[in-house]
Amino acid sequence: MSGAVGREAVFPTRQSLGLMKNKLKGAEIGHSLLKRKSEALTKYVSIPITISRYILTFHLLANRRFREITRRIDEAKQKMGRVMQIAAFSLAEVSYAVGGDIGYQIQESAKQARFRVRAKQENVSGVLLPSFESYLQEGVNDFGLTGLGKGGQQIQRCRETYARAVETLVELASLQTAFLILDEVIKVVNRRVNAIEHVIIPRTENTIKYINSELDELDREEFYRLKKVSGKKKRDVAAADAEILAARQRAAEEQAANPEAAAKTPSTKEEESTDVLGENEDNDVIF
Amino acid sequence: MEGLFFNVNGGYVEGIVRGYRNSLLSGQNYSNLTQCETIDDVKLQLAPSYGDFLASLPPNPSTSDLAGRMMDKLVSEFKYLTAQATGSSAEFLEYMKYGYMIDNVALLITGTLHGRELKPLLERCHPLGWFETLPALISATNIEELYNIVLIETPLAAYFKDSLSHQDLDELNIEIVRNTLYKNYLEDFYNFITTHPDFRGSPTQDVMAEILQFEADRRSINITLNSFGTDLSKSERANLYPQIGKLYPEGNYMLGKAEDPEGVALACSAVADYKAFFDNVQGGLGGMGGGSPDGKSLEDLFYQKEMELSKLIFTRQFTPAVVYGWMKLKEQEIRNVTWISECIAQNQKERIGNFISVF
Amino acid sequence: MAASAATSKDRQFLAVIGDEDSVTGLLLAGIGHVSDGPDADKNFLVVDSTTETSTIEERFQRFTQDRKDIAVLLINQHVAERIRHKVDAFTDPFPAILEIPSKDHPYDPEKDSVLKRVRRLFGE
Repeated sequence: MSGAVGREAVFPTRQSLGLMKNKLKGAEIGHSLLKRKSEALTKYVSIPITISRYILTFHLLANRRFREITRRIDEAKQKMGRVMQIAAFSLAEVSYAVGGDIGYQIQESAKQARFRVRAKQENVSGVLLPSFESYLQEGVNDFGLTGLGKGGQQIQRCRETYARAVETLVELASLQTAFLILDEVIKVVNRRVNAIEHVIIPRTENTIKYINSELDELDREEFYRLKKVSGKKKRDVAAADAEILAARQRAAEEQAANPEAAAKTPSTKEEESTDVLGENEDNDVIF
Repeated sequence: MEGLFFNVNGGYVEGIVRGYRNSLLSGQNYSNLTQCETIDDVKLQLAPSYGDFLASLPPNPSTSDLAGRMMDKLVSEFKYLTAQATGSSAEFLEYMKYGYMIDNVALLITGTLHGRELKPLLERCHPLGWFETLPALISATNIEELYNIVLIETPLAAYFKDSLSHQDLDELNIEIVRNTLYKNYLEDFYNFITTHPDFRGSPTQDVMAEILQFEADRRSINITLNSFGTDLSKSERANLYPQIGKLYPEGNYMLGKAEDPEGVALACSAVADYKAFFDNVQGGLGGMGGGSPDGKSLEDLFYQKEMELSKLIFTRQFTPAVVYGWMKLKEQEIRNVTWISECIAQNQKERIGNFISVF
Repeated sequence: MAASAATSKDRQFLAVIGDEDSVTGLLLAGIGHVSDGPDADKNFLVVDSTTETSTIEERFQRFTQDRKDIAVLLINQHVAERIRHKVDAFTDPFPAILEIPSKDHPYDPEKDSVLKRVRRLFGE
């Protein structure tokens, strides 16, 4: 069928050969143009791919940082357990020394925070991560006289122990906040990466594939057509050659057998026998 | 002479207390307790002394619950004693309660100053410092009312009257109020046992004078040490020193002038006992106690001394002071058990031996 | 994120919701702050067995949403358990919510809202 489509209904003439040659040239030029266009298309697609690679790199970096953070959160949480235990124990010492409950008095004496935090920002791969830094507000001392008569030294020590514990807690809070923010960023990046990986790239690839297949199809069609054309052309040329050769041979034979008859033989009879003798022209061509 | 008639009124109480004393935990009991792995084990070890009171505790109770039940037992025993005591012995027992009342009133003052609901505070009051008119205090809505009610309704009126006005309650730090009251209380108690006809020249005066003097000195020293680095002025500080004790008057004067722990040590150097304390904790006065695992803090040494004094009371007869000694020993016992169970509950076994046992 | 970073500058206090011992200890460290004025607002809440869950929720809401000066909220894990849905639902970076152990309730990482998120993220 394709052979039938591929073949153009042209007469095997030189003129049509020229025409075919021109057509082939045109097809070649068109193909290369299309190819270039396809390449350009691929290039166009590759721009988001570069971006996605960048994001992926960032993602990896962030992930490394993220893993670092989660590792440190884990560590800090364990440390917190220990530190808080020591702190709770120092409170037990206080109640041992004071011999009573100081909780209520402490709650009522609290007025001004001595232990405060300030927020700083740290730049990690373009993401601003806050971190808390603890500091002691000068001149604030709500519990200076607590335990004046009994247990004051234990209370003082307990305050120091707890202040250290709270420092650990603040450190942990910084990590945790950093984690939550990075978590947020990474979620967004992940969405983009996923979008590129699972939607844009496949779609583009499909487009490229489609274009290529179309081009290939065209190519193949073109090639097939050209092949057909050239095949036909060849056959035409061969047939023409054989005809000429046969005609010449017959003329020569006639001339040799009957030189005077050759002169008077009508050309119509000569044409009739061309096809019959054209078959074994090859043998004759040898010499 | 005093022995002749003491037992007529005070013999039963004294006998009971001597019985109570025998149920105090011994060194053997403590070494068993320190071997415990869980609070349940502790509970089991305490069963001979505290059986009924611990029975209703849930499995593996919190240390504060445990301490609460032990305190319940102490309170119920003490209540029984007060119910049995008559005459001067009863008065003596009343005096013993005043120290706890001061804490309770200080608590209510704190609550009133901050405009808190006072009712929940009653639960936090020390049961030994409970007196019938305590609930009346919660009807106060401001500090002046509270002050007036305290003056009218409580036995502590005398301690307030001359040294604190209601403005003082408002302006002074509650710790200063508390320590002022306590100073007055100690002086009054001392005055009571040295002047009361039943106690003057009796064994009661001998032992109680010594223990109250010690208590007064301990407070003076603690107040001085704890005032460093705070905004308590020297004159305010000096006003809080009870005017009794071995340090009074020269030692107190020197304490009043002391500016650092060395100054305190110097002030105490005149008294051999206290000098020994300071020598023992030398080099660690700033951050005492927890510094070294086996090193005792000054407070520990004071407690140790108090326990020894309390134990010595039992060598005397014909005196209600044994109740005082028993109560101090019992309180220390509760603190010890709390400490031990705290160490067990929080897995801090290395410091479990840091309690004070005198038996 | 930019907005939260901008507001983080004003956050300088810690807040605590916990049992009496935890609160007492943390107050001793000096984190307690009672604001001036007639509507004095404390930055701590003592929770015991009689405390209503609604009270805890209300304070949690106040510390996390209404007040803008809290940088870190410390909450005892066993208290957090009582309002777990609220803690789980709170995902803002500020204030940082930190679950801390209490004397009677040791820390259990299995219950921690944040660690749960970590685990979820790593698909463990």
